[in-house]
Amino acid sequence: MEFIVNNENMTMKLGEKLGSVLNPGDIVCLDGDLGTGKTHFTKGVAKGLLIEDYITSPTFNIVNEYNGRLKLYHFDVYRVNDPDEIYAIGFDEYIFSNAVSIIEWSTYIEELIPKEHISVVIEKLPEKGDNYRKIVLNYYGDRYNYVKGIKL
Amino acid sequence: MKILSIDSATEAASCAVIEDEKLLGEITFNYKKQHSVILMTIIDNLLKNTNTDINTLDGFVVSKGPGSFTGLRIGMSTIKGLSQGSDKPFISISSLDALAYNMAYTPGIICPILNALRGNVYTSLYEFKRDALVKLTEYHIMSIEELLALIEKQNKPVTFIGDGINLFKEQISNSLPQAFFAPAHLNLVRASALGELGIKKLREGKSDDLYNSAPIYIRKSQAEREYEKRTGKSIDE
Repeated sequence: MEFIVNNENMTMKLGEKLGSVLNPGDIVCLDGDLGTGKTHFTKGVAKGLLIEDYITSPTFNIVNEYNGRLKLYHFDVYRVNDPDEIYAIGFDEYIFSNAVSIIEWSTYIEELIPKEHISVVIEKLPEKGDNYRKIVLNYYGDRYNYVKGIKL
Repeated sequence: MKILSIDSATEAASCAVIEDEKLLGEITFNYKKQHSVILMTIIDNLLKNTNTDINTLDGFVVSKGPGSFTGLRIGMSTIKGLSQGSDKPFISISSLDALAYNMAYTPGIICPILNALRGNVYTSLYEFKRDALVKLTEYHIMSIEELLALIEKQNKPVTFIGDGINLFKEQISNSLPQAFFAPAHLNLVRASALGELGIKKLREGKSDDLYNSAPIYIRKSQAEREYEKRTGKSIDE
């Protein structure tokens, strides 16, 4: 599923739509270059999960935890050199819990990502304008069939 | 000799005070892995209710894993802090040993299985020889299929214990119809079992080094994982 957005509020809105339907244990992989709006998307997801805390990027602390309708683990593995580093923090215990996990830069730790997950890829569309983004939403596994129903 | 023992390698948060051959008290919660929240409180409670001044303890026992990474780190750092602060020795013992010890004198193989996620278990095989618990293999992480194949080769009765039962009971029963499973009241890591194994070693003068002791986090090596990914086969096949 593809969505074209032209401002960060729309990115957040789409995140919120996803966040409002996520179930316990869901895993969301979020990829896209620097400055494409990954953190805005996550802020939207957090809003959809009824999290009131201010969301910041966990680039330096790898993972942040928030409590809302469901618990949220927000990972950013940009800084990670080797998937083993992430494994060693107890990654499996986080992602196989009852919380929702969002993993920014998930391709850096591809071998640790379970087959069943939701994938969100954000790309710039410079030919359309500086603020245009293409957001591609995919899912792997029947448990995520509900993603089909998301509309912006 | 009087010791405090704690185990936080699994969902259970457990602590016990043992004096020589007697278990003076034990508190165990087997509920929602909340070690960081409740561990210090239950230790405090236990010491108070057994009239134990922490400075009168002769040593400490802690789980060295394998198990939950976070749980192990909470347990290890708690015991290291208590050991350093009170200047008393500590020793780390595997939770797999403690689980096997729960099934004391069971004939045949005792096989603790802890959920290691992604279809794997932490495991090791044990047998009781007279009153001694004998470990027959190293601590391993393996898929349940690999473990079942290993056990079929032993051709002995087998008793399973550990949280892996919750996930794999049906699969185990299908391939080993004669297998036994630990009853619920024994099927959790108890600090008393861990402590009893530990106090024996402390009595022999054995202890861990404060600065070098670390939990065992077993994981298949990168090379093994790549081999398995490439060939779709287990390295042990």
